[in-house]
Amino acid sequence: MKKINSRTTTGVAALSIAVLALSACGPDTSGEEEEAGEGVDWAEVEPAEEIVFWSNHPGGSVDQEEELIAAFEEESGISVTLENSGATYEETSQGFQTSQGTGATPDVVVLSDATWFPNYLNDSLMAVDEVLEAAEVDTGGYVEALYEDYNYEDSHYGVPYARSTPIFYYNADHYEEAGIDAPPETWEEVGEVSQQLMEAETASSAFSFPPQEEYPAWWMQNLIWGYGGSWSDEWDFSPVASEQTVEAIEFAQEATDDWASVSSGDPADDFGSGATSQIVQSTGSLGGILDTADFEVGVAFLPGGPEAEGETPTGGAGLMISADSEPEEQLAAAMFIGFMTNTENTAMFSEATGYMPVQQDADMSAVYEETPQFQVAVEQLERARSQDNARVFLPGGDLELSQTLQEILTNDVDVAEEMESVQSSLEELYERDLASELE
Amino acid sequence: MSSAVQTEQERSRVRAHRRRQSKNWSLFLLFAGPNILLILAFIYYPLFSNMYYSTLDWRLGSSTATQIGLENYAAFFTSDSGLEVWRVTAIFTAGAVLGSMILGLLIALVLNKKIPGKTAARTAVFSPYVLSGVGVAMVWNFIFDPTRGGLSHILGFFGISSPEWYLNEDWSLFMVIIVYVWKNLGYCAVVFLAGLQSIPKDLIEAATIDRAGPIRRFVSVTLPLLTPTVFFLLVTNILFSMTNAFDILRTMTPTGHGTNTIIFEIYLQSFGAYQRAGYSAAIAVVLFFTLFFITAVQLRFVERKVHYS
Repeated sequence: MKKINSRTTTGVAALSIAVLALSACGPDTSGEEEEAGEGVDWAEVEPAEEIVFWSNHPGGSVDQEEELIAAFEEESGISVTLENSGATYEETSQGFQTSQGTGATPDVVVLSDATWFPNYLNDSLMAVDEVLEAAEVDTGGYVEALYEDYNYEDSHYGVPYARSTPIFYYNADHYEEAGIDAPPETWEEVGEVSQQLMEAETASSAFSFPPQEEYPAWWMQNLIWGYGGSWSDEWDFSPVASEQTVEAIEFAQEATDDWASVSSGDPADDFGSGATSQIVQSTGSLGGILDTADFEVGVAFLPGGPEAEGETPTGGAGLMISADSEPEEQLAAAMFIGFMTNTENTAMFSEATGYMPVQQDADMSAVYEETPQFQVAVEQLERARSQDNARVFLPGGDLELSQTLQEILTNDVDVAEEMESVQSSLEELYERDLASELE
Repeated sequence: MSSAVQTEQERSRVRAHRRRQSKNWSLFLLFAGPNILLILAFIYYPLFSNMYYSTLDWRLGSSTATQIGLENYAAFFTSDSGLEVWRVTAIFTAGAVLGSMILGLLIALVLNKKIPGKTAARTAVFSPYVLSGVGVAMVWNFIFDPTRGGLSHILGFFGISSPEWYLNEDWSLFMVIIVYVWKNLGYCAVVFLAGLQSIPKDLIEAATIDRAGPIRRFVSVTLPLLTPTVFFLLVTNILFSMTNAFDILRTMTPTGHGTNTIIFEIYLQSFGAYQRAGYSAAIAVVLFFTLFFITAVQLRFVERKVHYS
């Protein structure tokens, strides 16, 4: 029998300890399902005295958030620690994801339309329906399309907070110069008025599409929905290469050869500086555009297409509660998110930031008087439609779509081929990263 | 002397030796221990953890994962996107390293002359190197902006339209190489300048007496004696360009359009869009061994060509 010397033994022992140490701090790879805990009897739970709130302060709202927190603390006696979670929704989500299991997870977090779903898949978010009821938050008052964005498998995972939609912006001075009386109602009319603007030489571009960094796949859902297409139907990605979607994107590609361009940066900057006469941009940009523009800014509902009146995709962020928190903290968190988004507070937040009021009964009359353009944005909510899964629920889906759109809009490539290619990419992402978890 | 006494002396010598050894070990642990612990905790532990994570199918933030062996590595080396990452990395590294070193050498040659305002010029050349990459990239973003940027106005003055720096992949890559070279060439210039000043003046004077012209003196005397500096800069610049360019790439091209080098791909796959922490860890391991291999090859083969005296 071969003798095992002490060095070998020590080496094996050290390696075993190292492997154990490494695997102990990583994710669980045993494949065993975690037993579901018993449901919480919320009637027995007392709210915690202190909770932590992570926010990236959407729209530069740190002052408003601090003001609302102070009012909540006075009303409820619950102390809220506001922590800066980064500059963007993406940074906030990255921070929240990497904080899992470290004991430093916040109780309430701001997550966007495109970042909450991976956190749901990670079991990091709690379904809020029961706890909101226990906290006596009336969810019936929320704008339905905005609240339903957080509904998955019959449970809600957040409440709407800093929500926005895209709207159609136009330079009213340029319109007057070109003899245009009213903003277009369909994409075909956008082409027609753009031709008039080109002839009048009002700006270097009549209309600007966004580059891939500015989320073109977000608002261009309006264009493809107008033609009867979509990025996906639930988890079926064939609609992205359908005849209708291809026709809509071909319309955009032809436009870039004629009356439209693709912006190199934020289209709002091009519009505010007068370099382009029309854009589609978030309602959240309205305040910034009004501040910088030295011309009359006009806004209108998003244009419609041959198959649908201008439907608008929703966007922005909601407030979510961590599944890691104790029931006492979750109850206090539910009281807090209900307070932050109640009728009075959403009106105040909306007035200060330019985001949509998330309650149907929010009194916005003072804002409308000062900024009539904002009323158009709010009225357009009647046409709100939840976004396609391919963009908001599939990790990497938005980037794949955005890259494809830029490729099409800046090069003379075959649209049908590109859309078939992106369909394959989306299906591959789904099969590889999601399918097994959703089945 | 009896053997018993001898044995006792031997024992006390051994005891004294052990005491000395023990004291030395205590001193070693006292001084080096904290550093060793820090290195183990913050370098080797993350390094080996990352290697372990690279064998998992793991979404960022998930508490569960699946062991998949080397599948992440196979996916990276066989996918089209993986090959594209290598192509972009190779072009960026070659452009950044050669650009920084050639321009840095030219600037160092000028600064090595007796010119007025030499100290101020050296400071001006070196200062971009110590600036924040994010700040540098933001300023250059303004310069390159095709609509409102400073460069488009200058080109427009000559009747040339601005290239689509941000929309065209090739121009985007060229743009970030320019910015990286601008930021980094001060470092190369200063190191080259130190190398130039260490060359004995009598060798240059001897070559001048032998009627060697400036180009001949540079090629036959200066350049061979600069090879240690060239070698040092080659090693450090390759390492830096593959790992330290992230801030510029991320700020100027947030989705890595045309600029998706290996360091950017690590970010994009885990945090940027795809949430694939295991796959991203595998690319990080590949980067580690690539750098290790490049450095080892340079030390083994390139160093032979270096003239140290």
